[in-house]
Amino acid sequence: MDVLIQIVASGLTLGAMYAVATIGLSLVYGSLNMLNMAHGAILTLGGYICYAAIVYAGLHPALAVVAAALVCALVGLLIYFSAALPLLRAENFETNIFIATIGIGSVIENLMLKGFGPYPIPQPLAVEGQVVIGNVHIPLQNVFILGVAIVLMVAVAILLQRTSAGRAIRATSMNREAAQLMGVRVGRVYAQVLALSGALAAVSGIMISSIATLTPVMGGDPMLKAFIVCVVAGLGNVYGAVIAAIALGLLEAATQYVLGVRWSFATLLLLVILVLIWRPYGLFGKQQVVRL
Amino acid sequence: MTSIRRDILIGLVCLALAIALPIAVPGRYVVTQSTLFFIWAIVVVQWNLVLGIGGIFSLAQMALFATGAYAAAMLGFYWKVPMLAAIPMAGVITVAVGILIGLACLRLRGPYVALLTLAIAQVMYVLIVNDTDCFTTAGGCMPLFGGVRGIGQFGDIGLRALFPSKWYIAHYYVGLALLAVAVTISIVVIRGPLGLAFRALRDNPGYAMSRGISRFKYQLWIFAVSAFFTGIAGGFYAVHFRVVGPTVFSFSTLLFLIAMIVIGGLGSIWGPVLGAALLMLADEGMRELSDYRNIGLGLLLALFVIAWPNGLNGWLHRSPASRDR
Repeated sequence: MDVLIQIVASGLTLGAMYAVATIGLSLVYGSLNMLNMAHGAILTLGGYICYAAIVYAGLHPALAVVAAALVCALVGLLIYFSAALPLLRAENFETNIFIATIGIGSVIENLMLKGFGPYPIPQPLAVEGQVVIGNVHIPLQNVFILGVAIVLMVAVAILLQRTSAGRAIRATSMNREAAQLMGVRVGRVYAQVLALSGALAAVSGIMISSIATLTPVMGGDPMLKAFIVCVVAGLGNVYGAVIAAIALGLLEAATQYVLGVRWSFATLLLLVILVLIWRPYGLFGKQQVVRL
Repeated sequence: MTSIRRDILIGLVCLALAIALPIAVPGRYVVTQSTLFFIWAIVVVQWNLVLGIGGIFSLAQMALFATGAYAAAMLGFYWKVPMLAAIPMAGVITVAVGILIGLACLRLRGPYVALLTLAIAQVMYVLIVNDTDCFTTAGGCMPLFGGVRGIGQFGDIGLRALFPSKWYIAHYYVGLALLAVAVTISIVVIRGPLGLAFRALRDNPGYAMSRGISRFKYQLWIFAVSAFFTGIAGGFYAVHFRVVGPTVFSFSTLLFLIAMIVIGGLGSIWGPVLGAALLMLADEGMRELSDYRNIGLGLLLALFVIAWPNGLNGWLHRSPASRDR
């Protein structure tokens, strides 16, 4: 029983972090058909900005999180104007933007390597204390992460469902041409989505670094897992991505306990390959009929 | 002049220059770096077949390269297979692994393929690096795949024994020969039936498919063909450096190689070779600035994709003749 509580607790924390990292990716893919390979680097940047804001600028932790989210939103905008906008006018957008964001991600990552050094730094934003359920001690940090993640997800859901900007985003991801014909300014939607995705990445980067440590390459692993989540859910399906993220988080915690940390990622991947062979468009994805 | 004749002419001129290089510049450093260039050029030329001709967005090429290198090293280390036999066997093993990866991902669409292949490479890396159990204790604890330190002491192709002081020049010519074969294969694929099938699938998929051109079948073929030489290059890499470690999976190598293809020109015959040569030279020239290497690479990659998606090859072929590639 205690083991079960332990697995569920760490699985939910992992799942919540993956979900926040995934929402941004999924939104961007949904509206632009763009796989943002710089997402991991932006996520790390968020963690470092938060660290720098607290340690060097002496900001209040809450303000530091806001600062990190703003900077990363700006980076998202920058990616839109410098890479996505010119590439949207040319052919092969999906392939080209993928390669271009690999390059951009490498630039951001190595700038952080230059700026902060390669050694792990602890994230100063931490909550002390723990909750006890049965015989299991759960750090308050994990509960806090779960809470923030839920608040963020609800906020994004409200944004998507209840505001006109959200409606424009949903319309664009359903059918770009139709949305454009109905007067949606698609370019503005793209910019908003990339900025939002940057801000969400920053928050998830802060979360991840608060239970691990800050290193310039820490974004790669969560990004890969966020991609896996997206792929399992069906690229571009935001709500499916949240469910898949939490399921994968629980699964990862379970495999870590049963098989050991070494096999958890391999098991995840095997599962993903099986899912993709069974349903090539993801669990919640709709099969797109390509007309020639 | 037909395009295939032009290709043969360019190839022969390059080959002649390359044969003359160690005689003109016998310095060990230049020759060894050129050998490394040959290895990367082989990988890049084969990757370009998958990426540029097949239109399969696979990032598994470095994983296949590593498969070849590890296969050769492990055959030599555990079964004492002589390297001259182990390298072709490594090529065959790589083809088998490549077909497996292909079967897993070729039914998917572009971005799904990229993610899946990237994840497969990452899992291979994680499994190798995190393996700390001793598989053999002969000469110290060693995990099955060599763990973080990698595998060494698996034999040689014999050129070091044959030319004790000039072995690196011998390796240079081996690398050159392999590259020549790899480029020949690439020309045959691009100008031959496989290339024709892919061009048909790109220009008019409906008509091509109704004429019985199966995209899946041809994609699997091109995957297998390119895996073979990538594996051979991996085996040669293992022999040349005498050790195989998990560094072959590193993201910066992947970045370096994909930048070669994109800067040279995706989907062209000579673009990747040109890109590989230029980036190797640039890497040499900026050795003092090595801290900024990945920043520069990333900037170049993004810049080329955004501004010149056809790469340097596109610059050279502004004329209408470039339309038939």
